Amino acid sequence: MHKAWRDHEKELASVKYLMASDVKGDVSRQFGVLDEGSGLALRGTFLISPEGRVTNCEVNFYNLGRNIDELMRKLKANLYLTKKKDEGCPSKWKDEGDPTLRPSAQMVGKVHEALHGTGKVESKKQ
Amino acid sequence: MTQAIQVGQLASDFALDAYDPVAGDFAKFDLAKQKVAGRWTVLFFYPADWTFV
Repeated sequence: MHKAWRDHEKELASVKYLMASDVKGDVSRQFGVLDEGSGLALRGTFLISPEGRVTNCEVNFYNLGRNIDELMRKLKANLYLTKKKDEGCPSKWKDEGDPTLRPSAQMVGKVHEALHGTGKVESKKQ
Repeated sequence: MTQAIQVGQLASDFALDAYDPVAGDFAKFDLAKQKVAGRWTVLFFYPADWTFV
C-alpha cells in the first residue's frame, strides 16, 4: 500500500524514510493523535530523543499541511541543545551560530537586549 | 483510556511494520533499536496514503 503510493506519487520520489503502518492505532493513541471517531490519525509530528524522550510535538487537523523548514529548525535546535544544555534557542534561531539565550534571573525583562546585543545581559554568539 | 504522552515524557517502546523505500523492501521500525543506535526519531503521522503531509 505505502509502496504503491510512493511509486506513483512524484512528490514522494525522494522519500528515504521508513513508511510504517499503525493499523491498530496503538502508536497514534499513545501520542494522542488518533481520531477515535474516524479511526484516522491527525497530522501529528513528534521528535523523540535517543533516550526516548518526546521533545516536541505539533498536531494539525486534516486540512493543514506541515512546514518542513520549521520541523528541520526544531530538529537542528534539539541537536544543538543536546550539546549546550544551559542554553535556549529563541524563536528566530535557525542554525548554529545564531544567538541563543541563557535563561537567568538577570534576563527577566531583558530578552530583547540579550537577542539584539544592546544590553549587558549575556547573549551567546558563536 | 490511557493518557496520551506529553512533551518531556519518555515514550513507550513500539515497533511497526514498514516499507523501506531505499531498500525497496519491507522493514521494521523499532524505537528500542533507535535508542540503542543513539538516533533521533521524527515520528510523522498522516491520516491516509494519497493525501498531502
